[in-house]
Amino acid sequence: MRVTVVRRVKPLPLGNVLIPSLSIIIGVLLASLVLYLLMNIPPSQFFTYVGEGFVSLETLRDFILLTILGTALIISFKGAVWNIGAEGQIAMGMLAAAYVALFTNLSSSPVLGKIMMVVLALILGGAWGLIAGILKAYLSIDEVASTLIMNYVAYYILNYLVRGPWKGKHTYGYIRTDLIPESTYFSTLPIRGITITYEEILLLVITLVFAYVLLYKTALGVRIRILGSNPEALKAAGVNVKLLTITLLTISGAISGMVGAAQLAGYLHRISYPIETHTPYLGYTAILVAWLSMLDLRAVPIIAFIIGSLNQAGRLLQIAGVGGIAVTYLFIGTILVTFTVLRVFSEYRIKLMRG
Amino acid sequence: MDTIIQSILAVAPAFTAYYLTALGHGFFEKSGVLNLAIDGVFYLSVAVAYASAVYMGNPYMAIFTSALTASIFGILLAFIVTKLPISHGAAGLSLMFLGYGLGALIGNPAVFRFREIKMTNIEFNINIPRTPLTNVTLLLVSIVACLALLYILKGTKLGAAIRASGEDPHAASALGIDVLKIRLLAGAIGYALIGIGAAIFELVWLPTWQQMHGMGHGWIAFAISLSSGRHPVLTMLTSTAFATLLTYQYLLQAAYNLSPEIAKMTPFIAAIAAMTIFMVTPLRRKLSPPLSLGKIFFKEERTL
Amino acid sequence: MNDIVLKVKNLTKRFPGVTALDNVNFELRYGEIHGLLGENGAGKSTLVKILYGIYTPDSGEIYIDGRKVVITSPIDALKHGLALVSQNPQLIDKLTIAENLILGLTKLGLMTPIRRIYGKLRELSEELGIEIDPNVEVWKLSYTQKQLVEILKALLLGAKVLMIDEATTLLPSNEKRRFYEFLRKFTLEGGSVILITHKIREALEVSDRITVLRLGKVVGTVRPNEVSIDEVRMMMFGKRIKEINYYVEEQIKALVRDKVVLEVRDLWVLGDHGTYAVRGVSFNIHRGEILGIAGVAGNGQNELAQSIMGLRKVVKGKIIIDGHDVTNKDTVKVRELGVGYIPDSPLKHGVAPDGSIEDNIAMLPCIARGIVRWSYVRSLARKLISEYDIVAPSTKTPIKLLSGGNIMKVLVSRELSIARKLLIAYNPTRALDEATAMKVRKMIKRKAWEEGTAVLLISEDLDEVLQLSDYVAVMNSGKIVSLIPKGRIVREEVEKLMVVK
Repeated sequence: MRVTVVRRVKPLPLGNVLIPSLSIIIGVLLASLVLYLLMNIPPSQFFTYVGEGFVSLETLRDFILLTILGTALIISFKGAVWNIGAEGQIAMGMLAAAYVALFTNLSSSPVLGKIMMVVLALILGGAWGLIAGILKAYLSIDEVASTLIMNYVAYYILNYLVRGPWKGKHTYGYIRTDLIPESTYFSTLPIRGITITYEEILLLVITLVFAYVLLYKTALGVRIRILGSNPEALKAAGVNVKLLTITLLTISGAISGMVGAAQLAGYLHRISYPIETHTPYLGYTAILVAWLSMLDLRAVPIIAFIIGSLNQAGRLLQIAGVGGIAVTYLFIGTILVTFTVLRVFSEYRIKLMRG
Repeated sequence: MDTIIQSILAVAPAFTAYYLTALGHGFFEKSGVLNLAIDGVFYLSVAVAYASAVYMGNPYMAIFTSALTASIFGILLAFIVTKLPISHGAAGLSLMFLGYGLGALIGNPAVFRFREIKMTNIEFNINIPRTPLTNVTLLLVSIVACLALLYILKGTKLGAAIRASGEDPHAASALGIDVLKIRLLAGAIGYALIGIGAAIFELVWLPTWQQMHGMGHGWIAFAISLSSGRHPVLTMLTSTAFATLLTYQYLLQAAYNLSPEIAKMTPFIAAIAAMTIFMVTPLRRKLSPPLSLGKIFFKEERTL
Repeated sequence: MNDIVLKVKNLTKRFPGVTALDNVNFELRYGEIHGLLGENGAGKSTLVKILYGIYTPDSGEIYIDGRKVVITSPIDALKHGLALVSQNPQLIDKLTIAENLILGLTKLGLMTPIRRIYGKLRELSEELGIEIDPNVEVWKLSYTQKQLVEILKALLLGAKVLMIDEATTLLPSNEKRRFYEFLRKFTLEGGSVILITHKIREALEVSDRITVLRLGKVVGTVRPNEVSIDEVRMMMFGKRIKEINYYVEEQIKALVRDKVVLEVRDLWVLGDHGTYAVRGVSFNIHRGEILGIAGVAGNGQNELAQSIMGLRKVVKGKIIIDGHDVTNKDTVKVRELGVGYIPDSPLKHGVAPDGSIEDNIAMLPCIARGIVRWSYVRSLARKLISEYDIVAPSTKTPIKLLSGGNIMKVLVSRELSIARKLLIAYNPTRALDEATAMKVRKMIKRKAWEEGTAVLLISEDLDEVLQLSDYVAVMNSGKIVSLIPKGRIVREEVEKLMVVK
């Protein structure tokens, strides 16, 4: 009995909905199994937390930011440019925003200050992506390796600053920066328990519109999509593929940087040391969001909400004693592995042959 | 003279850890599989080494469990990307995250257990002591590994089959080898080496554990392997460079009055620099990567 | 007594859009050389590829020595004693000959040292009458040597049946003679041969029996001494008899072919393995002129086309398009000058499989810049679909869902519509059915004559080159060995020039 994989004549109907959904369900089940085996957490407890995650108001924060990040990464992923460095780009964006807020006079003017924070975050995040883009375009250095390594470099830069020159004066023994001036705070929605801000919603809308117009209305968008399908054909058609690759990493890096600024101005209001333990690792979760959406912009908000809920469940588990980020990594892993395998079945099927 | 030899030998733990990891990674990639799971599995193996040493009380057995765990992941990755038409990058990254998650969940409880044991037995430790004997053994192990893999790759049918799978799996298949079987073997052996390297990293060089321990160092090994063209002997050179940098990092810190954060950053910057240097020089041509590295191997029946 | 070594019963194989084999029945006897003839697309290659485990049949049975077998891979085929030698040697360049060949010896364990087979290899190559150093890397070998290594492989693996798929077509005549002598010796020792060639004369000389395929069906099996060449030709082509000229020659006096559109001067281009693929090629193409390059694939044509398009580095020499020096300039610049390009491998370099027809049109900078006018793109797509009878559910369907022929149509029609000054066409009618191929050739002719587009036509189909070109150049081993104007072409002479030394 031989098992062969054969291409389908027509792609699996509703595959775009079925496969991500199944992946999430199976992935979460696998995660609960692991948590039970390794940490003795009974599945019932786990699923309670998962349920809580879905109804928790704090999830909305992750939802908004993951939608922005997921969209940013989709722009890059559609061109088969794998930007895994969103974490580092977020950090650089946070750095930029903190600089404007803490060390310039712009922070006194509420509107100008916030705009400059976002703009500088776009620039620094974009620059961080640009470096990886240049390394890939001109030196063929795999962008996964370079962006991932640059994540660590970004963490270290931030940690150095927070521990050194940027150490706050009013920190009561904790190693962290001062609070940024209140004028630079984003304005939280006036609903009890909610942590999202008007500015972040605005940034969300701008990002979604930008991504839609870019990908479906511009020539650049066509080229991005073709780049993801066959870069050789694009080159022969007369498009500068190197420049395109750099552009993709820069754009997704810039938007990620912007999220860093939002995180600072909208929620954290200060940067604490070490940054690795104070980040919700949205840069990595966003990869999951982008992939599960099957690179379809319309699916991003839905997936972002689900993943955000899982993230929140992870945080609740942390309060119960298990490392929160460990749970996040775990379910990113289980869902992604399941997804990568199930993904095959939208275009292929299993054929059993005798002999 | 004695101190010179001592200083050289002091690099042995770091050298062996990174070298074996890079060696195994390069060996596996020669079969055509793009190995992006390296950091995740390295991190996991480090945690497994720590946990095994704690629970079993014996660091030497821990090397074995670490190698076994890594091997399983290697086989899994090789299987997924060869049997199914799946993007190597996607599969590798998925396993990377899984490795991160599992590693944290294995390491954290072990820390508690360690502390418990320490309370009743202050002498308890999980590390393999760094004696000159250990250092020399580590170096010997590295050299043996190098020679063994070199012989396999250049002198045996297995090596020819591995390189064939990496260059052109379709032609290799037509020539008569089972690409799946070969890649599974390459994955098992390559990742076993990664597991051993991770165990050395944990048990000899940095015998401690906290949640982020070892994260990112798989990528350093990745860069070490890439910038030496995945050649067993040349990888020794790049590994030496990095191991020296990492072992004497504190000296660097003191000499240039660097903050510890900046000092910790240097190996990562060096990793990018090493890859850049490799890609820029003619080395890239001479030691070119396997032609079909990362290409989806799938038999499509098309007339065009 | 069973004298049938291989039997195929009711074999059928379908690809999207075409039935390659239709209930084929075929028998091969011990000790015979069995010729398999048919025109392009008749199914000959498909049949032997099924026997070698590269394709799986949709239905039908295969019997070896009277036993039914299922062949699922080349390894399987080799186990049953079937070996395939095709026109493209399937060897791995970076490995040595010994390393390549040891891979097929499944009885040897994985830890077997490569040196173990050196002796046997030397022995076999002596039998074959050639000198082979097992330690040489394959990329250093010439085409002929690679083909010989393929034979060596078959012998090494104890093949009883050799399937030769057009492998002799490209050999120089003395090598070819030796090759056929070896085949004869092989059959005298009990082996059998299936010989695929389109050279009817050769097949009749060498074979014991001949089977002719047409459009996937067996037309008949005959003995060479019982038929004439014309009868065989009738079997191969049916009622249609190929004519060299089926275009009405129009004398366009109004179009003055004065301006040189493409000038190539002493061009040297490196191939993939560090040796020169193009060695000092020079030619001019004037406005409205078609220069056809004939030649066997692998003599530098692809590298030439790629270098003109800016896709491959030029080491020495110049390329000038419409007065602009584009040597080693980006493809962007070349395309901006109004150059169309039909590449060698359309799926690799021409179209994006996941993109729709609209996307594949809009990706060209000359069609879409800044904001895309999708209405324009859609109308262009619809025009191409109707003009070329492209079968596609809609303009938004991903191209990978179309059949091979239709994909080719999308590519060719797109390029023909955007090429203004110059068209570089490599095998433009490959995979196209007869009617569409004719249409494409007419379009190319029209573009040259009416619009003044200069055309560089590179084709492995000699008939096509001879039909369309104003000048025919023959490319051999990276050089242009001859440049002949239309009126003075003698087909046999051209064929002679094409043979690789």
